[in-house]
Amino acid sequence: MQHNSKYIKNLFNNKGVEISSKRVDLFERFVSDNSTIGIIEKIRSLQTNIMENWQHKNRVQDIIEKQIIIPNATVNKEYKAFLDFEKLGLNDISYSAIEGLEELGLVYDNEKEIVVGVPKVSGDFKVNFKFRIKDDLDDSLLHEKKITLVINADPKSLWKNIQSDFEKTEDWKIENYWKKDDEISFEKLGEKNIVISSKRGRSHANVGSFRDDDFAYKFFDHTGWSVVCVADGAGSAKLARKGSTIACNAIIEFFTLNFTKEALEVFDNVIKEHQTNKTAETSKQISHFVYDNLSKAALFAHKKIEEFATQINVSIKDLHTTLIFTLIKKYDFGYAILSFGVGDCPIGVINKDFTEIKLMNWLDVGEFGGGTRFITMPEIFNSEKFPTRFGISLYDDFSYLVLMTDGIYDPKFIVEANLEKIECWKDFFEDLQGKNNENVNVNFEKRNIEVAENLSKWMDFWSPGNHDDRTLAIIY
Amino acid sequence: MRRLPVYLLLDTSGGMFGEPIQALNNALSGLISTLRTDPMALDTVWVSIITFNRIAEELIPLTEIGSFQLPEITCPQSGPRHTGRALQLLYDNATRDIIKGNENQKGDWKPLLFLFTKGAPNDKVDFVNAIPLIKSINFGAIVSCAAGYLKDEDLLKQLSENVVHLDSADTHTIKQFFKWVSDTIEQGNKSQGTGESVPLPPPPAEITLVI
Repeated sequence: MQHNSKYIKNLFNNKGVEISSKRVDLFERFVSDNSTIGIIEKIRSLQTNIMENWQHKNRVQDIIEKQIIIPNATVNKEYKAFLDFEKLGLNDISYSAIEGLEELGLVYDNEKEIVVGVPKVSGDFKVNFKFRIKDDLDDSLLHEKKITLVINADPKSLWKNIQSDFEKTEDWKIENYWKKDDEISFEKLGEKNIVISSKRGRSHANVGSFRDDDFAYKFFDHTGWSVVCVADGAGSAKLARKGSTIACNAIIEFFTLNFTKEALEVFDNVIKEHQTNKTAETSKQISHFVYDNLSKAALFAHKKIEEFATQINVSIKDLHTTLIFTLIKKYDFGYAILSFGVGDCPIGVINKDFTEIKLMNWLDVGEFGGGTRFITMPEIFNSEKFPTRFGISLYDDFSYLVLMTDGIYDPKFIVEANLEKIECWKDFFEDLQGKNNENVNVNFEKRNIEVAENLSKWMDFWSPGNHDDRTLAIIY
Repeated sequence: MRRLPVYLLLDTSGGMFGEPIQALNNALSGLISTLRTDPMALDTVWVSIITFNRIAEELIPLTEIGSFQLPEITCPQSGPRHTGRALQLLYDNATRDIIKGNENQKGDWKPLLFLFTKGAPNDKVDFVNAIPLIKSINFGAIVSCAAGYLKDEDLLKQLSENVVHLDSADTHTIKQFFKWVSDTIEQGNKSQGTGESVPLPPPPAEITLVI
């Protein structure tokens, strides 16, 4: 009663109506009259309605304006996104639906509040999110808001394969130090075989640029030595493709000129003596021979690149390339394997029983990806670590001698430490021999003359983020 | 998989109000779209955005480009530009985020830093103090872009070898700059000599390299 009286007083006050002291009794009777009380209740109820309606509209607008972020999807990749209404503070959503998902390959499950499916098309899409909140009537029209959904293209579909010599003339090729995008080779190397495949990486194929990797090998019939080299031109250097070619050719040239029968006679004797009667002296002589010859070869390669740079008036940095090479010879007792390496390409020898791996060189890798050293850097020759770049191993026999660029090592071994684990090499060879998603099998039986084609096919393996040139040489 | 971390430090001080901030939003959206349709970038690029006005804020933590969602970047109508604070925050974040390689772990590609600013830092002392910290991160490239002003460039020069100048902060020019940013990012994931920097592609006509 008190309440109603106050309510009417406020109303009169707002309207400028005063109640004189003579009419107080009349006012009290007026307020307590049933018809007045009825009207006040109606007014109050209508006001409550208005307030509720406003709050409802306000709430719906809040939801419409609220940014609902759902994760980006990728074509051909299974997608599942939970619209966490609770976390978004949208507990009051009592019903929801999303229009426009079906044509994208997705569906919305409104019980579980998840978007699922495998997207078919890429792009930035606005889908229609429709909803009701708990104060809505069950048959009321649904509210609507747009939600942005980004669907990335399938990365595989984005790669282009542009031939580096597409619509180019022979002259252009010469002027631009062109080389074949893919190269394979298979040959006898003494009593062993060698198979090599060198492939331009997808990152180059995508823009029609050149393969920077290279390789070369030679068997010297008159001495029994073989030399195999692999080089990886630096992606950041303009003429790296030429640098790697010169480096490989220089090594072949050096040993063609210098590994003569006469020059090798002393070494042949020492190594035989070492095998029957190992002494500090024989060890020293062997080390000395390896260091002396291989360092000269490495320096020869450096000089050749330097000469070329001077000749065409560019910085030697434009020809940055890593270089690894190995020399092998079969003696009566077994094999001698010599090696040199600068850069991030490993040389590994696996013993006859496949129980041990020897990594012939250490890798120049820094704390950041891609940072390495090159044969084109003069400082490597003066570094105190230079003598540690050489290796020698003697084996009765070996199963595989492997040289590879980081295009293979990065995806297949991932980190340096794995290169010294025989399990990782076992996995690697199982992968080569068919245990892979593409079901490609490289058969290393000696009678398989298609081994190079097999290897080339294997080298197309897919590995996200690993799209560098790939070169793999296997002596077996 | 190796990541290529890219840090964008963006001026959102009062000086950016109006066309510049709109132009910046458009250009960024273009940058993200370009990277999203580049298969190499999709596999490697991770982007973080730090904005700075009176305060510096990590608007987007380091996120792979495929999952990246660009929010609307806003700025107040007036207020200072505390670039130094942004560098300090960048240092803390980069130290936390960047994965260094070792025998058992694949390292990131050298990170890249792009600083976009409409004017000189208002916190010069903080800015100068942060320079050695930023250098210690060993970025593959630090590019500072001065949009529409040519004052105190020496300060930017102390931070980075590569200072570029845009004659104006309009939509077209800013877009060209970010186009160039995406070209530079594409250079970031290639092998290079230890200690060498990422080579920058030639800039378009709208951009002047300050020497």
